[in-house]
Amino acid sequence: MPGILIVEDNRELREMLKESLTRKRFTVQEADNGKDAIIHFKPGVTDLVVTDIIMPEEDGLKVIMTLREIKPSIKVIAISGGGKAGPASYLNMAKALGADAIYYKPFSVNEMIGKIEELLKIEQS
Amino acid sequence: MKHERGKTENQSSLEFLSRENSFSDHILNNSRSMISVINRDYIYVKVNTTFCKAHRGVADAIIGKSLADVWGKETFTRNIKHNIDRCFSGATVKYEASFNTPQAGKRFFEVIFRPFPSNTGKITYLLAETFDITDLKLTEKIAIEKEEEFKKFETNLPIGFLRCEPDGKIMHVNKAFKLIMDFRNEKSLFSKNLRDYYAEKGIFDMHVEQLSDGKPKSFGRVPLITCSGKEIVCRISGFMTINEEGNPSYIDFAFEDSSRELMLENRLLEAQKLETIGALAGGIAHDFNNILATISGYSELLIEDLPHRSPSSEKVAKIQVAVNKARSLTNQILTFSRQVEQEKVPVSVYEVLKETIGFVKSVAPPSITIRSNYKDKQKYVFADPTQLFRVFLNLITNAIQALEDKKGIITVTLAIEDDKKVRGDINKVIVADEYVVVTFRDTGKGMDQSLIRRIFEPFFTTREIGKGSGLGLSVVHGIVSEMDGAILVSSEKGKGSIFYIYLPVYSEKAGQPEFNGKKRKLLFITGNRHESRILSLALESAGFEMTQSSEIKHFNKILAEPGTRPDLVIYMSDAEQIRIDDMVSSFQKYSITPPCIIISESNQDITEENLVSSGITSQHLVKPVSLKEIETAIQLSIKR
Repeated sequence: MPGILIVEDNRELREMLKESLTRKRFTVQEADNGKDAIIHFKPGVTDLVVTDIIMPEEDGLKVIMTLREIKPSIKVIAISGGGKAGPASYLNMAKALGADAIYYKPFSVNEMIGKIEELLKIEQS
Repeated sequence: MKHERGKTENQSSLEFLSRENSFSDHILNNSRSMISVINRDYIYVKVNTTFCKAHRGVADAIIGKSLADVWGKETFTRNIKHNIDRCFSGATVKYEASFNTPQAGKRFFEVIFRPFPSNTGKITYLLAETFDITDLKLTEKIAIEKEEEFKKFETNLPIGFLRCEPDGKIMHVNKAFKLIMDFRNEKSLFSKNLRDYYAEKGIFDMHVEQLSDGKPKSFGRVPLITCSGKEIVCRISGFMTINEEGNPSYIDFAFEDSSRELMLENRLLEAQKLETIGALAGGIAHDFNNILATISGYSELLIEDLPHRSPSSEKVAKIQVAVNKARSLTNQILTFSRQVEQEKVPVSVYEVLKETIGFVKSVAPPSITIRSNYKDKQKYVFADPTQLFRVFLNLITNAIQALEDKKGIITVTLAIEDDKKVRGDINKVIVADEYVVVTFRDTGKGMDQSLIRRIFEPFFTTREIGKGSGLGLSVVHGIVSEMDGAILVSSEKGKGSIFYIYLPVYSEKAGQPEFNGKKRKLLFITGNRHESRILSLALESAGFEMTQSSEIKHFNKILAEPGTRPDLVIYMSDAEQIRIDDMVSSFQKYSITPPCIIISESNQDITEENLVSSGITSQHLVKPVSLKEIETAIQLSIKR
């Protein structure tokens, strides 16, 4: 099954995403900040990254840029609940950097999984 | 010795006098005035040395000449002759005139003609004495000019000047002071003591005390009460004049009205305060959204875990409704802190306002009169129409709530102001040449200053706990600010309040975007055609073909005709005549399954069970929804 990397500093949210995706039999890896995500990134395993934007160490925008550089074919989903400048501006930046989809928190996890399947061209069973 | 010397002096004086023709000639020639004797033929018969000097001549050259020769024919006939004639008839004539003298050019003179009678009493000569008063005149002129200059300064400057006795009795004031203090008549002005204009009487006495050392002082801003009872703030400085005995004789005060300056400062402070609260609230909302995302995600997982039609499913559905409500709340906070993305389109303010008023009129009690006055119907602003609707609805609702016993008048006006006028009103960067100004005036209970200062703060409410989130006006503030607009309030306790909304006019021609191919058909099921009309306007301009229905027969008719069947349905939960179940059975009747977007009130539980079990995909949005949210929902529905 395709591999998904979840980069999110909020533990509960990260665990929820992990459980949801594991259920759909995705191979899930996690990182709780942008720096770790970049350091431990495995291009051979990860096909798609779900990343928060505002995080300690390195932010999600940096994650998107770096991972895209290492693996141009990687699919990206950015999620945000806003910060100093509001979710819209961060997510628009993410989009400009090539994020394939963006979600405002709170979002429907099923909707996101639908999107992931679409991006990875997985036929719904 | 003494005697001898005296004698010598007497002798020399006599010698001196004998050297001159006469003593009087000596005086005559040494006088600073030009002195002459003139006969009835207007001819000089005698002139003194001063006269000769002024005419650069010797006596012999002037004597025998006529006045017309010496002063010029025109000057003589115009200025001199009639005065001489009067003098020959026995009067002493005195006048001032300017003449050109050969020695010094144009000079001012004081001229005196005195009759010079002979022994027989007949006036054959007159004595003319002409004294040069040019320097005197000049000094006088400068003094007058100086005084006038000072007066100008005193009357034109917007600073009020006042002189009063040490006890505060007013002696003199300038025009500016009268303007600042709203004086209607002079009487009332001087009948009052300066002390009476101070909002706190003790302050005046304190100022006088501080001035008693005779040094000028500035007292900063002092609250005063004008003649019309208005409270203003003036920057006051003063100076006490102390007489030779060391007692105070009077005090001069300068008053500078700084009410406007203070108001602008306060507004800036308000803006900064709201900015801070916004940042804080935005931060909380952000953390909260993370938590909500977790709750929402797990509840979705839980639904999957539960067996189909399990009694617990309903409970999980309730968790999701609660999440939606919370999401709507965090969204409102983010709107206030301007962190929510707004989808903006050119919108006619008139259209939105008209629909809002139409809606309010349909629900407001008849004891409330709502008047509207549209001075413009053409201008567009760049906004999310649903947000604009919220702004207007919120302000009218607040106006209604301000009315006591649900009675009164609400007046809504729409006008256009140019940038110069707006610059004077709002303390903000001006971004357009014109502004749409919408005012909401009520005849309600009004507010005092301390309340006005806080109304835009989030969670500030005057209503009972539980009756309002206290977010209304803070959201209005956020939406208006996001549009580069401004909101102002003026209010008087017991008389009512006025809210002013300034929105920059959108200058590009608001044309319909062009679409290739077939337009998507969107059906609105609604109980409130005013609100959905606003959304329709926005969605039409986004390229959808809009139909509305609020009545089941009409709805079925639309579904019966394949050509009018919708690609998507937006269901507003206020559609009382078409319930969700009705809608679902109609769909089943015609075997169609268009995707649905359900929009409900935040305090409303609606059951979508039938909808879900009938295989229709639906999305649920909670009011207030933004155009952006609806557009996103539509795109998602259509993709599926």
